[in-house]
Amino acid sequence: MSQPIKLSIPSHPKYLGLIRKVLQELLNYHEVPDETARRLILCVDEACSNVIKHGYGGPCEEPIEATFYIDGDDFKVQIRDYGKQCDSSQIKPRCLDQIKPGGLGTHFINEIMDDVSYCTERAKGTLLTMVKKLKSELTSAQEKDKE
Amino acid sequence: MSIELKLDRPSENIVTVSVNGDIDMSSSTKVRDILAPLFQENNKAIIVDLSGVSYIDSSGIATLVEGLQWSHSSQNKFRLVSLTPGVKDVFEIARLLTVFEVFDTKEEALAH
Repeated sequence: MSQPIKLSIPSHPKYLGLIRKVLQELLNYHEVPDETARRLILCVDEACSNVIKHGYGGPCEEPIEATFYIDGDDFKVQIRDYGKQCDSSQIKPRCLDQIKPGGLGTHFINEIMDDVSYCTERAKGTLLTMVKKLKSELTSAQEKDKE
Repeated sequence: MSIELKLDRPSENIVTVSVNGDIDMSSSTKVRDILAPLFQENNKAIIVDLSGVSYIDSSGIATLVEGLQWSHSSQNKFRLVSLTPGVKDVFEIARLLTVFEVFDTKEEALAH
């Protein structure tokens, strides 16, 4: 298993571009197809935005720690914060039938990732773990190329 | 990455807003701030050129959905043009691609 890549950013939207760039470089290095890479970056960005909005109650300078693992076919990312803990059973994507602004971040994460879990069994904050199987993405990208 | 917004008035009652940069939680309010007053004017169409946007998140999508809602209540047409693959993909995941008037080029949006 390769060493995880760890990055800690302050909980302010101005640092979201930085975390996206680091992840883009990492996914490029592992030759993850562009479309998959874009989607994984979207999920990490949305997760960090949710931490800023809901965990810390708005932009501030508290830590958001992201740890990226690429192990064989698995891409795993863990997002750790030390803010307000949420009731994970209440984190649900909203119905898309109604066209209204907001509430799409959780939908993106659930739609794109294969496994999503929130752990609040700690003194402070939440540990979000998201996993994506890259093998199926690589296969479908290769099939697209053949067409 | 900072965002650049450019406003043009190619003809009477038509406004184009060209966006260059990522639309995320840090920049979507700037897009909202430039769009909101346009719906208070007597514009026939407001066209948002997204050719310079390679990344959009849910806050950016929310801003454009707000624009769509303002257009419904103000009778201004609200059109999006030149969606890059990354932006188009996010619209598709949100199942919103068919909800907006989307054109390949600014010229097509102006002629429509």
